[in-house]
Amino acid sequence: MTVSAPNARSSQLTAEYVNPLIVATRNVFAAMLGCVPNRTGLRLRSADDPRHEVSAVIGVTGKAVGTIVLSLSQQAACEVLQRMIGTEAAQITGEVCDAVGELTNMIAGASKAQLAKYELSISLPNVISGNNHRIHFPSNVRPMVIEFESEIGPLTIEVGFTGV
Amino acid sequence: MKVLLVDDSTTMRIIQHRCLNVLGIDDVVEAEDGRQALTHFEQTAFDVVLTDWNMPNMDGLALLKEIRSRNREVPVVMITTEAERKRVVTAIQAGVSDYLVKPFTPEDLKAKLQKWVAAGV
Repeated sequence: MTVSAPNARSSQLTAEYVNPLIVATRNVFAAMLGCVPNRTGLRLRSADDPRHEVSAVIGVTGKAVGTIVLSLSQQAACEVLQRMIGTEAAQITGEVCDAVGELTNMIAGASKAQLAKYELSISLPNVISGNNHRIHFPSNVRPMVIEFESEIGPLTIEVGFTGV
Repeated sequence: MKVLLVDDSTTMRIIQHRCLNVLGIDDVVEAEDGRQALTHFEQTAFDVVLTDWNMPNMDGLALLKEIRSRNREVPVVMITTEAERKRVVTAIQAGVSDYLVKPFTPEDLKAKLQKWVAAGV
């Protein structure tokens, strides 16, 4: 028995999702926040990589199964709310979480539209905040991290997929 | 002109509600999911329904089918991240009147709303 085959398939699926996510992130930010983030890095995620303080998590199911995580600083999350509806926030509130969750929902939706062959469905977003919070991907998935710089600050998109 | 606005995101409801206000529509009833929307729909006559697709309890497609089983005429506009052709076809087959994919610019939203608001006047 070998475990390399599912991991190879997982890596292929994850890699296939990277470009659609980059395109979707840039388009969604442009439309909803009035700024276009620049991709500054792309790497495999290691287990102890720190995240920003706020993460929105969306599950994806269909002919592939995976997770997409948008992570950004508290300040950037508050700026998302301000840019979307003009409401100022100095800390993480329900309104901030809703705005970040909806932004992530749009990114996940726009990216899956570019991968129609997998007939993907997305879950409702969950938003997690706090320093050093942890989000665990399945053990056979090696997530990738796409790093961006933007007017509202740095952000990352993590993506990890596996076959079904 | 009375509009039923359905989205589980308060942010999106605020954006769309303001857009309706700019178009001169102040009679807007908001619902957080399809189930809540259906309750409103059964109690009140609406001229236009704007609904998200992915929502808890009852999603926008199920809401659309429930509305169409009661009313074939009222315009129902789906405003959603679901952009795949297959999804759009599913919504059309269920009787959706129009479709707007998120993300949208304020101009996109205004143009879409204006079309149905004008049709309902």
